[in-house]
Amino acid sequence: MRVLVVEDHAELAESIARVLRRDGIAADIAEDGEEGLRRAAVVDYDVIVLDRDLPRLHGDEVCRALVARGGDTKVLMLTASGTIAERVEGLSLGADDYLPKPFAFAELLARIRALARRAQPSLPPILEHDDLQLDPGKRVATRAGERLALSPKELAVLEHLLGAGGRVVSAEELLERVWDEEADPFTTTVKSTINRLRAKLGDPPVIVTVPQGGYRI
Amino acid sequence: MPRLPSPTVRLRLTLLYGGLFLLSGAALLAITYFFFRRSTGINLIVPNGGHSDFSRQTLEGIQSSYAGLERAHERSLHQLLVDSGIALAIMSAGSIVLGWLVAGRVLRPLRTMTATTRQISERNLHERLALPGPKDELKDLADTVDDLLSRLEAAFGAQQRFVANAAHELRTPMTLWRALLEETLTDPDATIDSFRATSRRLLALGEEQERLLESLLTLASSERGLGRREPFDLAVLAEAILRDESPEAAALGLRIDTELDPAPAAGDAALAARLVRNLLDNAVSHNVPGGAVHIRTGTGAEGTFLSVANDGPAIPPGQVGRLFEPFQRLGTERTGPNDDHHGLGLSIVGAIATAHGASVEAEARPEGGLAIKVRFVAPPQVPHF
Repeated sequence: MRVLVVEDHAELAESIARVLRRDGIAADIAEDGEEGLRRAAVVDYDVIVLDRDLPRLHGDEVCRALVARGGDTKVLMLTASGTIAERVEGLSLGADDYLPKPFAFAELLARIRALARRAQPSLPPILEHDDLQLDPGKRVATRAGERLALSPKELAVLEHLLGAGGRVVSAEELLERVWDEEADPFTTTVKSTINRLRAKLGDPPVIVTVPQGGYRI
Repeated sequence: MPRLPSPTVRLRLTLLYGGLFLLSGAALLAITYFFFRRSTGINLIVPNGGHSDFSRQTLEGIQSSYAGLERAHERSLHQLLVDSGIALAIMSAGSIVLGWLVAGRVLRPLRTMTATTRQISERNLHERLALPGPKDELKDLADTVDDLLSRLEAAFGAQQRFVANAAHELRTPMTLWRALLEETLTDPDATIDSFRATSRRLLALGEEQERLLESLLTLASSERGLGRREPFDLAVLAEAILRDESPEAAALGLRIDTELDPAPAAGDAALAARLVRNLLDNAVSHNVPGGAVHIRTGTGAEGTFLSVANDGPAIPPGQVGRLFEPFQRLGTERTGPNDDHHGLGLSIVGAIATAHGASVEAEARPEGGLAIKVRFVAPPQVPHF
């Protein structure tokens, strides 16, 4: 899952991004409204966490532009002025959810995941393939009832492959959905992560390599 | 227990009309009665003399018919009095009824105004009475009420903006505070070093919050007015503050020009020092690299003044007034490392100046930056302290 954090307080934006990454979500940062729109035009984000009070281009304008553009991207608005009137206003602009500042990270994460699920309504809350199970909310993967010790990145790759439902996923797609701009953008990173993941998943092998195509479960 | 209605203006006006009518009616009757009585009496002229032709019998006849006439006259006078009394009573009752109606008619616009004003103050302050009609006493009253409502609306608006802004200003660092704490606490790989770094950052954030609170308190206390009056010299205050600020300005590569002539004023010296410091901070932190700050103090025809002008980004002239509203900052460009005043600096300047009866003129300089002049009223010549 890939998320864009549009927040002008650099320190807060970085803190949010760090926590999201720790939870296996690829997170990018934009420091003002214009940059946010620019980035949203390049990458197809699952969720955009949008601060309302942004310099250059106000969060409301960004939200309006994002909604007008269409697509599956969900917008979660953050604002420090948490009156009910403001909340209603934010939602009526087309934001999909709303979180007043200050917020708890647990709630922010839960809402981001809920929004991402709404973007792909066909996905069940728990992803399964044979004896392999993955609970995206709890960040837990099990095989034959045994819990797998996966890193956040490995878990995210597994989640994306399971979510693809048998479709072939290219290394580039994995890079875009699972890695953010913090990571070095090389397909070798994908390859090594897949290899580690295969080792941890054990036998029989689950991930199939499709020559010239990518990976498939 | 039902409360008796207090005598209304309508009742009082009615009683006034009725009473006046009764009084003037009674006076009119009295005068008429008096003249009538004087002009319609019966005069009996009996020629005097020895050789009267009247027989005794005739004389008696005349006397008796005179007495009869006299009685009839008395009766008709009495009748007149009674009739007039009845007429007066009827007319008085009529005038009271008319008075009640007229008083109601006169007071109706007033009642409408009261009802509308009550509705406005309950519902929404942006409505006005806007009484139509010629310029009279009532229209004057309505216009005065409208002016009052305008000022109330402005004051409420300013207060609401202030509260909203203060909430925003307090929530933003709280959010960061909470985020940093949670991030470290929920990190399974957190080390002592990362805990240390977070603690240090939280401490710094706490100090920033303390400064914001202090600024809010200064703003509130200077809006309350002056607690004391003592003489001070703006030049001396400016010099002392410049000694503190110069190194910071020099570190940012700014030039400070000073022209400090004696500028005696009176008031709260600590607040005045705060005013000077905020103006200087503002001039330094909203400057451009290699820019300058000009500070002048002195005495002019209208009193003493302090003026601070700085280079900086161009400010649209219409935006200057906004700078004195709490929590307003223009753009994010600033030369200073951080904004210590949280957008309260200039509103504190405004509040302190108002408390001192000083005027603040601010204008955007065409070449960029801001020029602010604060004029203090010169202290009265006090011979001894």
